[in-house]
Amino acid sequence: MRDLPASLDLLSLARELLLDELGPLLPPERRRDAHLIATAIAIALREARGAGWQGEIEQALAEFYAEAAPHPDPLPACGERESVGARPLAPFTGRGRDPRAAWEGEGLLRRFAGDLRNGAFETSPSRAAAARAILWRLTIEKLREGNPQFLAANGFRDTGRQGTGRSRRK
Amino acid sequence: MAGTALPRSEAGLGDRQFALAEFLKAASGADAVEITRLELLGGGAIQENWGIDASFDGGRLVGPQRLVLRTDAATGVPSSIGRVQEFAVLQAAFAAEVTVPEPLFVCADKAVLGKPFFVMRRISGSAAGRPITLDPTLEAARPGLAERLGRELARLQRVCPPRADLGFLPAYDGPAGQIGEFRAYLDRHPNPRPVLEWALRWAATHLPDPLQPVLCHRDFRTGNYLLDGTRLTAILDWEFAGWGDPDEDIGWLCCKGWRFGRLDREAGGIAARAPFYRGYEAESGRRLDPERVKFWEVVANIRWAVIAMQQSDRFQIGGARSLSTAITGRRATECELELLMLLDPEGIAAHA
Repeated sequence: MRDLPASLDLLSLARELLLDELGPLLPPERRRDAHLIATAIAIALREARGAGWQGEIEQALAEFYAEAAPHPDPLPACGERESVGARPLAPFTGRGRDPRAAWEGEGLLRRFAGDLRNGAFETSPSRAAAARAILWRLTIEKLREGNPQFLAANGFRDTGRQGTGRSRRK
Repeated sequence: MAGTALPRSEAGLGDRQFALAEFLKAASGADAVEITRLELLGGGAIQENWGIDASFDGGRLVGPQRLVLRTDAATGVPSSIGRVQEFAVLQAAFAAEVTVPEPLFVCADKAVLGKPFFVMRRISGSAAGRPITLDPTLEAARPGLAERLGRELARLQRVCPPRADLGFLPAYDGPAGQIGEFRAYLDRHPNPRPVLEWALRWAATHLPDPLQPVLCHRDFRTGNYLLDGTRLTAILDWEFAGWGDPDEDIGWLCCKGWRFGRLDREAGGIAARAPFYRGYEAESGRRLDPERVKFWEVVANIRWAVIAMQQSDRFQIGGARSLSTAITGRRATECELELLMLLDPEGIAAHA
């Protein structure tokens, strides 16, 4: 049992403090850094509150592949099938989170990426359309977390699954 | 003679100021050089740019001079050429009457500053993207600026291979090579990117007919030119230059990632495409083909996505502790949305 307030509420409050009170005190050349920090916090808040869409994409991919016969893909222009990510990865030496600690559905996503590279769905208009629908959904969900303003600027509705929790703006 | 009493902002080159002054003295033929100010300039995402105020006694540059020293940052991205090579490209652009800072001196000797560098004249103006696209006082000047950029690009494209002075630039074999490099990068990357794979497939199956290769800037965009008031004073950042397709830089400037809050202005966020194209066509004598430009705009979005991912690799794998660099990786998905909008316009209504 964790203590209250919850970490996300604290984070949201910290973001408000940064933007509304600390930011204006900074010299102009450091204000962009404050906004970057606020952006990073906002992404973290939206990611924490928006869990679920990855499972939906995974489900969509599972259904997409369940409907299809195995390997309907034509050979690529080079004459042989390519694979994606087949090579071993370099050892992770960075200080961020190891990006290979990925979500469970990544195997299907990797297969999907490889099939798209090979033009696997191009001979079937309905499969191609279904594949594009998944690409749209994946991209829109990622942007809802990462940059909903960009989605809105391009005319896409933000259905508001996740907010930053910021209730006021000076 | 070297300067003293430098401000604290010189940290990083400050301990090399005497060596730098000696280099400037020898390179310019001066009797003495005094560095009076040395400051790290903002804006360089990959390279370091240092402003130098120096007084030259005799030689090629007499009197007080405002210069910029450009050198490598601690970590870089793979497609960047070296500073010695960038100096040669800058010289070629300067000779072709492209508006660039005059390149002055280059130093490959790591004994001077610990890494190669070059020195150019410091030009007045600001390159910050958002003021250029959003400042209302620039409104009337923007179409003319777009036309001027078209003319500048056409002038740059007068530089064609083969060139002995640019012999270090790899021969250009068409976009298929670039597509292969992007795929190789994605193969090494831990996160699958199906949208990029889908767009790369489109590009690989829609290769345009080849044109005579030209010198491409490869980062010709808003944010990489200086404006002093409404006047274009310099085109900057030549580190990605190479032989390429004449439409490559056109597609890059029109790529949505460089519109800085004015997505409706397709030429770099400053104007419609028409004035930019008009300036280019008038100066080059070549009519632009919208389908070719579309191809290169798709490639531009793929490339920008890969560069964004490489930037975050500098944190994720290289250990660079820069929030700005790390967060740039998130922009790859913006490019993917644009790729979907370019290549599947029917899908926009279904998902908007």
